[in-house]
Parts: sequence; C-alpha cells; structure tokens
Amino acid sequence: MKLYDNRAWFLVLPALVIVTFVGILPLIAVTNYSFQDLFSLNNPYWVGVDWYRNIISSERFYASLGRSFLFSAIVLSIQLPLGIWIALLLQRSNQFIVSTVLVLITVPLVVPWNMIPVIWLNFINPNAGLAGKMLAWLGIGFDYKFNALHTWIVLVVMDTWHWLGLVVVLAYAGISSIPTAYYQAAAIDAASQWQVFRFIQLPKMKTVLSMAVLLRFMDSFMIYIEAFRINAGGPDSATAFLSLDLGEEILSFNYGPSAARSIVYFLIVLTVAWTFKAATSARAPVAMEPAK
Amino acid sequence: MRSSIGRIALFTVIGAFILVPLAQTIITSFVSTLPRAGIAEGHFSLVNYQNILHSAALKDSIVNSIIYVVLNVALCLGVGLPAAYAFARYSFAGDRQLFFLLLVFRITPTVVLSLPIFVLFAQIGLANTPVGIALVHCVFNIPISIWILEGFISAVPREFDETAFLDGHSLPSFFFRHLIPAIAPGIGVAAFFCFIFSWVEVVLARILTTTGGKPITMAINALFGFRTDFGLVMAMTVLAVVPGIAMIYFVRNHLAKGFVIRT
Repeated sequence: MKLYDNRAWFLVLPALVIVTFVGILPLIAVTNYSFQDLFSLNNPYWVGVDWYRNIISSERFYASLGRSFLFSAIVLSIQLPLGIWIALLLQRSNQFIVSTVLVLITVPLVVPWNMIPVIWLNFINPNAGLAGKMLAWLGIGFDYKFNALHTWIVLVVMDTWHWLGLVVVLAYAGISSIPTAYYQAAAIDAASQWQVFRFIQLPKMKTVLSMAVLLRFMDSFMIYIEAFRINAGGPDSATAFLSLDLGEEILSFNYGPSAARSIVYFLIVLTVAWTFKAATSARAPVAMEPAK
Repeated sequence: MRSSIGRIALFTVIGAFILVPLAQTIITSFVSTLPRAGIAEGHFSLVNYQNILHSAALKDSIVNSIIYVVLNVALCLGVGLPAAYAFARYSFAGDRQLFFLLLVFRITPTVVLSLPIFVLFAQIGLANTPVGIALVHCVFNIPISIWILEGFISAVPREFDETAFLDGHSLPSFFFRHLIPAIAPGIGVAAFFCFIFSWVEVVLARILTTTGGKPITMAINALFGFRTDFGLVMAMTVLAVVPGIAMIYFVRNHLAKGFVIRT
C-alpha cells in the first residue's frame, strides 16, 4: 500500500515545471496559432477553424493517415514477434552471448536519425553499396527510387535495423525479471515450452512489452527524417507519411496551417495513448490468471 | 545441442544484419572520396579524420553535442529521481493523471512542438545554444527517466526508507547516502535511455540551431552540398556513434539483468 500524501507534489514539482515549459506552454501557443492567419507573428488575423476545415476535407490527409497506419502495422508485426523471439532465445544463452548480442543489437539506436538514411542509401547504392552490388549481381532489378514496393521494403528493413534493439532490450528485461520459482513450478506441472511462454513469460512481460508497442507505434507512425531522406515521399507520394506534410509546411513558414496540423496530430496521439491505457489496465487482472 | 547451434546461427545472422551496413560506413570513412593531390581517389587514407581535426566547425559541433547531452542527462536524472520516488512511494491527488500526461509528452512527435518551441526559445535567448537543446529534449526524456527509476525504486522495500529515516536521515541525505547507491544500476539504465534518445534527436536540434551551437548531427547535415565529401560525412558519422557504443558497453550487464516498467 502506498501512503496518501499530497506533499509528494513537491517531489514532482521540478519535473513538472520543466515539462510545462517545454511541453505544455508550446502546446498552448500552437493551439493559439492554429486559429489564426500569421503572415508574420506580429500580424495575427483570426480565421477560426478554417485551417482545420482544410485539413479534414483534404483527401491527401486521409491518404497519408492511411499510409502511416499501414507502415506502423507492418513495422510492429515484424519487430515485435522478432524481438520477443530473440529475447526468448537470449534467455537460454550464457552471459557472454547475451552481452554480445545486446551490445550489437543496440548499436543502431545510437546512430543519429539523420545519418540512418545516409548509411542505408550508401549501402543499397547499386554502384558502390554492398547490398546494391549484391542485388545487381543476383540480377534483381532493385529500384528504390521509382518502384513504390521497393521504397517500402527499404523503409521497413531500415526501420527494423534501427529499432529492433529497443524491442529486444525491453522484452529481455521483462523476461529476465521473472523469478526462477515460476519456472520451477512450471517444470513440476510438466508445462510445455509454449505453455511456459503463454502463461508465465508473456503475462510477466506485459508491462515492458506494452511500453515497447507504444514507443514503436508512435515513432513509426510519425517517421519523418528517415523516410524523407530515402525518397522524399515518392515515388508518386507512395511513401508520403503524415509528418512529411507537417515538416514541409513548417519549413515554408506557414505558421497557421502547420499549427492546425500539429494539433490534429496531437489529438491522434492523445487518442492512441488513451485507448492504449484503457486497454492495458482493463486486461491486467485477467492476463495474470492462467486459463484452465 | 541441435537447438544451441540453431540459436548461434540465428544470432550470427542478426549480428551480420546489424553490422554489414555499418561496416560499409566505417570503410568509406577511411577512403578518400574526392580527388585530392597526393591521394588516389578511392584508396585507403586517414584524410577524412585529419580534415575533422582541421575543421573548427566540426570540432565545435562535437563539443556542443557532448555539452547538451551531458546537461540533458543530468537534468532528467536530477528532476526525475525525486519525481520517481514520489510515484513509487506515495499516492497523491492527480497522480494517475500526471503519469498519463507524462506518457503523452513522451510519445508526442517532436515535429508537433517544434514551431512554438522555436518561437519561445528565440524570444528568451535560448536558441542557438546547447543549453536550449538540453532543455527541450527534457520533454521526452523526463518521462523516460521517471518510468525507469520508478520501477527500480519500487523494487526496493519500503522498510529500507523507514530505517534510514529512523536513523535521522533527512530526505536529501537519504537520497544521496542510501537510495542512489541502492538503485545505481537503475540510474545507469535511465541515463543510458536518456542519452540515446537525446543524442540521436534531430528535429528539435535542427530548428533550434539554425545559426549557431550546432551539434554533430547538424554539422553533418551542413556537409551535404554540390560536391559532398562522403568520406568526411561517414567519418563524422563514425565519431558520432562512438560515445553511444561506449555507453552501451558500460550498461550492458545492467540491461541484461532486467528491469520493470510501470504503465
């Protein structure tokens, strides 16, 4: 049981002050901009919900929204099972292998985001890149510039390369915090490997995995720098995700429309976070109880 | 026996998948990619690394990056630890809502906040400085540090605190003498996550450093031009990854021991 004590607010206050300054205040400012036409910041002109009307009535917006959801869905359905699988295999390995694999797999996480597409473009370059030359030698006409499917493949593989480590680290952390007593109990009951996974490991990993799902979903849903550098949303807008439109508008200093777009995206984030929280807290007691 | 061979084979495949694209970057960084007097183009050379040493802008960018990331990690741990302690030990009015708010800010895309942050920071003179970047990266790193530290603090039994308070420790002295040593691995893991998310972020770093205070990431961006020296770009990338790999190496055993995160 936790003590109820409102003096605890003093402990969270410093964190809250900073988050207010760099998170809440900017959010209020951007809400304000979104209702105005700002040719310059000193000359606001109230336009009401015009920018919002433009966004939600444009087909381009729904098309990018759909593409972003599709990208997130593909990325999650690859990275999550793969990450869990690797973590399960790691759990049965010795300490040296665990350290080596964890160090290796987390290296892409520390590569600056703007360099990830540069590394990959260099890698798949048909004249100089190892993968590019390999594909050419195999006789596969790989063309990430003009073939939409190939651009998607590059983006998904690149994203998996970049983020698989995060899923593995979180999944492995969840698995290794399970006390051995659980496995002993399972062994006494002669539980199969699948049953151990389904009724012990998966429920015990739930909190870290939900964290991994949330982080991976949002980061892939709002992928920007990486996708832009590979093909600038092309070919023919096939990889124009949500954040690309916003990035373009900010760079061309369209304060009003980009602010409205920011708010729309923030509301999507809020909905996702809320749904997610509702879903995980509702399932919590059930998942811990092994089914008969 | 058969399964362990399969496992090693799989790990080898994954290792190769991670390393091969990087290997090409490292190789390119040791190759002269532009025609230069005395070095044949496409041959092994240290010229790219020498060029970094001779360029004030590139050297400054490395210093800027280190300043802002150290400041950010220190800030996030400094304000994150008391907050995590509050969440782990007490319930208070609005605690669940506050936790949700932090969750929302962790996952809010930085591009959404970049425009007002640029305007706000320009007005108070924090634009174009590493301090500005350190501050602005707190928006997603403070939640991360609170989450991770909260898990570690919750794992320490409450009696541990009570004994220290009975011994006459004040809250700050309990933090420094008892709590921090007890959750040292947690501080390492939290620092690691804050480091990686701050070190690699580019959207806010770009909008805040249009004229000065550029970190490594933006200095690399500035190298692209009419005749890009890819060898130099790759050499800077290699240097940008080295501190991160050092961080990973230091926390590898803590990452392997496992930690719990509350949602």
